[in-house]
Amino acid sequence: MKTVPLNTDQAPPISVPLRFFAVAPLFLILAALVLLSDSDNPFADPHMPALLAATHCITLGFMATVMVGAMQQILPVVIGSPMPASRLTARFVFLSLISGALLLPAGFALGQPLLLNFAWPLLLLAFLGFIVASLLSLARSPAHNATRTAILLSLLALGAAVVPGILLAYGYATGTLSPDAGRLAAAHVALMLGGWVLLLIVGVSYQVVPMFQLTPSYPKWLTVALAPALFAALLLNVLLLLFQPDAAWLSVVAQSLFWMLCGCFAVATLVLQGRRRRRVADATLSFFRLGMAALLCAALLAIALPLLPVVDHLETLLAILFLLGFAMSVMHGMLYKIVPFLVWFHLFRGGVKSGVPNMKEIIPEPWMWRHLWLHRATLLAALCAPWWGAAARLTALGFLLQGLLLAYALFAAISVYRRTLARLEQTQPNPIA
Amino acid sequence: MRERGLQELDVCGLPPPEPFERIMHALASLPAESALQVRIHREPYPLYDVLRDNGYAWHTTPLADGSYSIRISRSA
Repeated sequence: MKTVPLNTDQAPPISVPLRFFAVAPLFLILAALVLLSDSDNPFADPHMPALLAATHCITLGFMATVMVGAMQQILPVVIGSPMPASRLTARFVFLSLISGALLLPAGFALGQPLLLNFAWPLLLLAFLGFIVASLLSLARSPAHNATRTAILLSLLALGAAVVPGILLAYGYATGTLSPDAGRLAAAHVALMLGGWVLLLIVGVSYQVVPMFQLTPSYPKWLTVALAPALFAALLLNVLLLLFQPDAAWLSVVAQSLFWMLCGCFAVATLVLQGRRRRRVADATLSFFRLGMAALLCAALLAIALPLLPVVDHLETLLAILFLLGFAMSVMHGMLYKIVPFLVWFHLFRGGVKSGVPNMKEIIPEPWMWRHLWLHRATLLAALCAPWWGAAARLTALGFLLQGLLLAYALFAAISVYRRTLARLEQTQPNPIA
Repeated sequence: MRERGLQELDVCGLPPPEPFERIMHALASLPAESALQVRIHREPYPLYDVLRDNGYAWHTTPLADGSYSIRISRSA
């Protein structure tokens, strides 16, 4: 037996993660408006400015904002080490990330180089600040577990993904895109989605799935090996993308290896969820299972791609399965679990109090179920959108309604927090202090 | 501080926030010179902040089965 260190610093105030979560739905609404503003079908051509802008509204404005906000809470809760100067770090990262996430899609959609030139330095600052603060937090963590390793690798992937992203934005802004822009873009997408997004979800799932969904733990061998194996496979793929050796079979093998590992994670998670101890319907669990099913479908499609006849838009389909099917589903599920927990925890933390609402009362579950059905319908429409223009409009409508619904749910939770806090401060001294 | 009694609480396998709620309720009724011995399936970092804020000392020991034993008492 070993005694662990006893001191931890204060967890961040609730405003630190909540400000990120509260703003994120706005970007779903913006993505919808950008898609609706295009008279053609933006999904028919991945290089259309409207699709580029809408994609960055979702990946940068929604997903990165949620992930950066969640990290400020996850680091102290899961590995016992908050970010240094948490309020200051949160303000700095929030302002630069949100400004950059507004300007970059605006620059793409409006074809305004000036906006791109404002966007990329802000995003560089945001990610640099976030990565440095997160790495310091990891370095000071008393925990040495598989989640810490996965988070570290996801941050390294993020750092590596930012470089081609900035080069591309600068190239677009100044009209100096190099002939290698296609390869840079592929490396940027691979590192962002296959590295930062996937590895963070993998690492957090090791904790969140058993904890909140009452499943058995992931097998130890899997938690130790999966994130480093995914990272190594990703690096191999990126090197092959950048240097493009003559042996094309090498890329097929490397891609298959990466997607097989993704499939392993999805299957392992679905199997664990099938063995959960409490078999009650739960919208957040259903979001998570939808995400894992979509990741498994994406993995199967990606592995089968080299064997299939050439059909237009299959790679767009793969991106939709990964982005909307896997990543966005999991993020919605996590938000609906994390936000009520945060509100409840910050109300309860002063001690035992009557009048603190039950966690299930903070965001009414019927709203989560409505959101789940809406998200399923949006995903279905998006999967048809590359071939069917009307489905692209339905996808945009789905984003719009999801943004409004999520904003309503999050502001309802914030409102419960404020009302309850005001009442508790007026009526109750702390009984155990 | 001398401890006169030791209460035990096992919250292994309970979903959040039940472990936290049960620990806080147990502490609220804990006699001044007693200690609470908690067994929990994961290390509850957020609990430590709350314990410190409310004047408790604690001592965490990882167990061989992956769970944790936490001894909580009033700060001296």
